[in-house]
Amino acid sequence: MWLLAALARMQPAAESQAEDAACLRRIASGDQAAAGELYDRHSRALYSLILRIVADETEAEDVLQEVFAQAFRQASRYDATRGVVAAWLLMMARSRAIDRIRAKRTRFEGRTGEVERIDQMPDTQPDAASMMLTEEQTRSVQRALGELPLMQRMAIELAYYEGLSHSEIAERLEQPLGTVKTRIRLGLLKLRDALTHPNAQSPRVGGPMEGAT
Amino acid sequence: MSTHDELKANAAGYVLGGLDAAERREFELHLAECAECAADIASLRPAIDALAATVPQVSPRPEVRARILRSVGAAGDRAQSRRNAPQMRAGGWLALAAAIVIAVGAGLYALRVQRQMADLQARFDQQRATSAVLSAPDLARIDLQGQPVAPDARARALWSRTRGLVFTAANLPPAPAGKAYQVWVVTAQMPVSAGLLTTDPSGGGTQYYYTPPDIAAPVAVAVTLEPAGGVAAPTGEKYLVGMP
Repeated sequence: MWLLAALARMQPAAESQAEDAACLRRIASGDQAAAGELYDRHSRALYSLILRIVADETEAEDVLQEVFAQAFRQASRYDATRGVVAAWLLMMARSRAIDRIRAKRTRFEGRTGEVERIDQMPDTQPDAASMMLTEEQTRSVQRALGELPLMQRMAIELAYYEGLSHSEIAERLEQPLGTVKTRIRLGLLKLRDALTHPNAQSPRVGGPMEGAT
Repeated sequence: MSTHDELKANAAGYVLGGLDAAERREFELHLAECAECAADIASLRPAIDALAATVPQVSPRPEVRARILRSVGAAGDRAQSRRNAPQMRAGGWLALAAAIVIAVGAGLYALRVQRQMADLQARFDQQRATSAVLSAPDLARIDLQGQPVAPDARARALWSRTRGLVFTAANLPPAPAGKAYQVWVVTAQMPVSAGLLTTDPSGGGTQYYYTPPDIAAPVAVAVTLEPAGGVAAPTGEKYLVGMP
């Protein structure tokens, strides 16, 4: 039964994926209206993520423009087997937004070089298994994130929104590297459980105390 | 060479893009021959993708649409040169960044000399989030009163649905060992944990908390004393309560 329910939930996501993929094909063939459609379908989610990362409306608008420019340029190369369009766009948005705050951080710290562009990292490629979330799943993950022990949540947020490496997070939180790795892992497992069982109240791996040390 | 367990501990970092280049290469080599780690990656990835959906949802200004569509419509042949010279495209924001660097740089420099960069950066992030809340167009204020256990305690919650919660407290008694203050946003359905509140020796503290944008409008904000590390639903004595 749960499988049927899960399939029913995925249906709209599958439909919008098909529409998105069609949209990209039209953009690749020079259809200007399709560009507007893609913008209307995704600009809010992309802008929200970018704004959360760069925390400045003007910069967020610039990054949004870069993301759409990149998406339109690469529309012909988009490969549906590599992942859903929404995840692909969000990945580009996160990469570019993090590039921007990293560049700023590098200036603050007076360092140059050694900052790697995150969109060259193969690990941020979306996976074919990724799908768009239902509202129920989004709420469940939000709740799970809110319920994470503070240090777990901070470690995950520093990694995801600030693009910090494990060792940078360890330095920032003044925690041993191993502890940081464990916290990130535990936190992500809880988020994953929340995603898989969106109806369960307070899905958790271990108790609320376990990350408090 | 790292052991399997050491490598597996890097799986989450790999998916998040948080490994350095050498670690990443080592992990990828391992991944090619370890089905367990490959499965681990596949199971963690949706959780990371889901993070993108948890941020407060905000629409870009309406005029941005035309600007972006115009720029890509007119940029058919410029796309090539842009790709070849990505640093040129950044000209406009370089000026902005320079202005920010000049404004903030002096303050940052003094503190950097004290080698407190880590602490500073954490505070900077907090303040960036805090100032975003304080300038939010949908800002709401909720004042909290001390309860019988702490009659002198005072607090104020500044909440924006789109940007989060800034909470400032004063005159809280020191939390006993093994206990911590936890801030709750009470909705009609249930209390939602905002997070833990750390207080200084005077019993004061200011903290930014993320709140889900689709949270029901709060009917109250409260602070309780809970086991250190926090709990999923309030169990302890109420120290501060306020209603909009």
